[in-house]
Amino acid sequence: MTVVFTQVNASGALQIAGESLDTGWFLYLAAILFVIGAVGVMVRRNPLVILICIELMLNAVNLTLVTFSRQLQNLDGQLFALMALTVAAAEAVVGLGILVDIFRLREVEDVDELSELRG
Amino acid sequence: MNWLPLTILLLPAVGAALLAGRGWRWPRMLTVIVGPGVVWLSFLVVLYGYATDVNVDQSYWTWIKVDGFTLPFNLLLDHLSLFMCLMITGVGGLIVTYSVGYMGHEDDPSYARFFCYMDVFVTSMLLLVLAGNFIILIVGWAMVGLSSYLLIGFYYWRLSAVVAARKAFVMNVIGDIGMILGTFVIFFQFHATTYSDVFHQLGCSGDRLCLGTPDSPTLELAAFLFLVGAVAKSAQLPLHTWLPDAMEGPTPVSALIHAATMVTAGVYLVGRLHPLYDVAPYAHHAVAIIGALTALVAATIAIVQTDIKRVLAYSTMSQIGYMFLAVGVGAYAAAFFHLLAHAFFKALLFMSAGNVIHAMDDEQDMRRFGGLWRQLRGTSISFLIGSLALVGVIPLIGYFSKEFILGAVFSNPDPLSIWLWVVGFATAILTGFYTGRMWWIAFWGKPSPTRPVAVPQEAPAVMLWPVLVLAALSVAGGALQSKTAIGFGTTLVEDYLRPVVGAIAWPANPFDVLLALATMVLALVAFGWAYLMYVPRAERRAAFLDSLAEVAMASPHPWSSRVPWAQTLLEHKYYFDEIYDWAFVRPLDRLARWGDRGDRRVVDGSLTGVAGWVQGGGRELGLLESGYFRSYILVFVGGAVVAGLLVLWRASTA
Repeated sequence: MTVVFTQVNASGALQIAGESLDTGWFLYLAAILFVIGAVGVMVRRNPLVILICIELMLNAVNLTLVTFSRQLQNLDGQLFALMALTVAAAEAVVGLGILVDIFRLREVEDVDELSELRG
Repeated sequence: MNWLPLTILLLPAVGAALLAGRGWRWPRMLTVIVGPGVVWLSFLVVLYGYATDVNVDQSYWTWIKVDGFTLPFNLLLDHLSLFMCLMITGVGGLIVTYSVGYMGHEDDPSYARFFCYMDVFVTSMLLLVLAGNFIILIVGWAMVGLSSYLLIGFYYWRLSAVVAARKAFVMNVIGDIGMILGTFVIFFQFHATTYSDVFHQLGCSGDRLCLGTPDSPTLELAAFLFLVGAVAKSAQLPLHTWLPDAMEGPTPVSALIHAATMVTAGVYLVGRLHPLYDVAPYAHHAVAIIGALTALVAATIAIVQTDIKRVLAYSTMSQIGYMFLAVGVGAYAAAFFHLLAHAFFKALLFMSAGNVIHAMDDEQDMRRFGGLWRQLRGTSISFLIGSLALVGVIPLIGYFSKEFILGAVFSNPDPLSIWLWVVGFATAILTGFYTGRMWWIAFWGKPSPTRPVAVPQEAPAVMLWPVLVLAALSVAGGALQSKTAIGFGTTLVEDYLRPVVGAIAWPANPFDVLLALATMVLALVAFGWAYLMYVPRAERRAAFLDSLAEVAMASPHPWSSRVPWAQTLLEHKYYFDEIYDWAFVRPLDRLARWGDRGDRRVVDGSLTGVAGWVQGGGRELGLLESGYFRSYILVFVGGAVVAGLLVLWRASTA
């Protein structure tokens, strides 16, 4: 059997393995991922975990981009997602670099310790 | 190009620069050579100029050139400025040499500082008299004021000296303002600043007097403004109060600046600007009236002073009053002869007084001297010569110069002149009296019981010789101009100055000589009368004088016990200081305090208020910057959520 993994029908809903899957689900998933990321950034104090959470939020956004790209039959969204991935990689490099540098300077396990610029 | 005027000017300037730059670490010997040396060198150049009869108005370079206005740097060395230069460098050289001994107690840096200031002063004074235009004149005028300030405040650790220096400076600046405004008026009228241009446009120069030219309010205004400058610099009424206080400076300073040279700058100014004053009769009369009044007022105050230098200071004011009187009536040659004579005998008096003060451990109250005649013979003789020259006794220079002035005033056809002569005549007698008082109290009788030094030492040679040279000049100087006071002999000063200031325009009165002799006799009587009043009876040596006096006026005793109110009035110097204090100093002080409060409360207050407000706001806002990453993200996410909700709300309502 030939598996047509994904297809878009006339109404715009995704077809996966013959079953149609409403776009809404993908958006729900993206929203959940994003909220997990955002809450993670807000409540976690380990700088590495915060970085990971930021990546999570970025990827949630990427997911919505790809979803809409599929639904609207327009490749711009996918292109944009690829672009975002590239930028995210660069950003992760810079972020990790800063983190390593701070670690060298002093052993920080909690971003709250980095509050010298408070008013 | 004639370099002579510039050389005269630059020699002391170079000396001052060397002393200012390196003097404080020089060995004392070098300071002693450079300080007086440059003045003497300058004197030699002036002598050379006199010998070769230099008479130039030399422009060296263009100083200022702005859109149609050109100001040259030109120096004028004519007979009048050469006469002044001879006096400044000659008498100045003697006084600076004298300072070598007088300032000997100072430590090396102060010693060099003193000679540096003295050379600065000589430079400034030479600039003043050599100036060929009004602008350079103002520069010189202000610079002598500055050097006077520096030298009065030489003992800067003494509050009284600093206050006196400030007072002199403020008074002099009032005069400087008059000079500057006067120059503005001249420029406004003639569009010229050099003497030659201005005098040419006034239609008279040199010996051509311009009497009878129509009067002009503008010229009167200019003449009055220059008179303000002259009055302030020469310590005439009503801007005279700084001079007695200026005696806080070292004695050579009093001799050079506050007797011989700077204070006579006003006389020089009126003489130099005589083409202006000749066409401004009101201002010209004002000069004469101010001079006569100052002569009288200062002479009366001198009667009650007890500080020997202050007596000499009031006497200086009085004698400069005579010079103002002379230039005021137009007898310029008489004024300048008296200026020279006064430089001789007043420098002599100050330096002799300096020797006495030195011998008395810096005591200046002459009531605590007494009996110096036997102990300081050289100084006493020179002081006596100076005193008699001041009184105007016949073979001495003071007789010839003072009687030249009084004779010229007496014979002047102007109806006012006779009254001015009466004032001058009265002043001459008062001069005899206060000079006698000073002489008898300080030098005669028995030593005062409170005298600081029992056996005083005569001054060293370096302080005695300049005094003796001046004494010789005071004795012999009368030969320069004897005809006017005794009816025969020379008229050298008058002839020499005639090309610049002209001859006296009215014929001499045949009574002049008789009046002169009468004035001298009366002044001498006053001098002797002071002996009866101020030397205690037990210490008098000529008993026959007592009997004479008792016949004449029934037991003379100090006049002050009969008129105590006059004594009080004079001791307060006619309350000039008190009036100025009440009229100017205190209101200004109150204004300043008020302004200070306003500044603090309103100007500063509003700025501080705004700053405080911003600071406070910043502090409150700063609390938001917790430095916690979490809180920033919370705000950010919260903002994003609100923004998203807004978008949704709009979408649902649209």
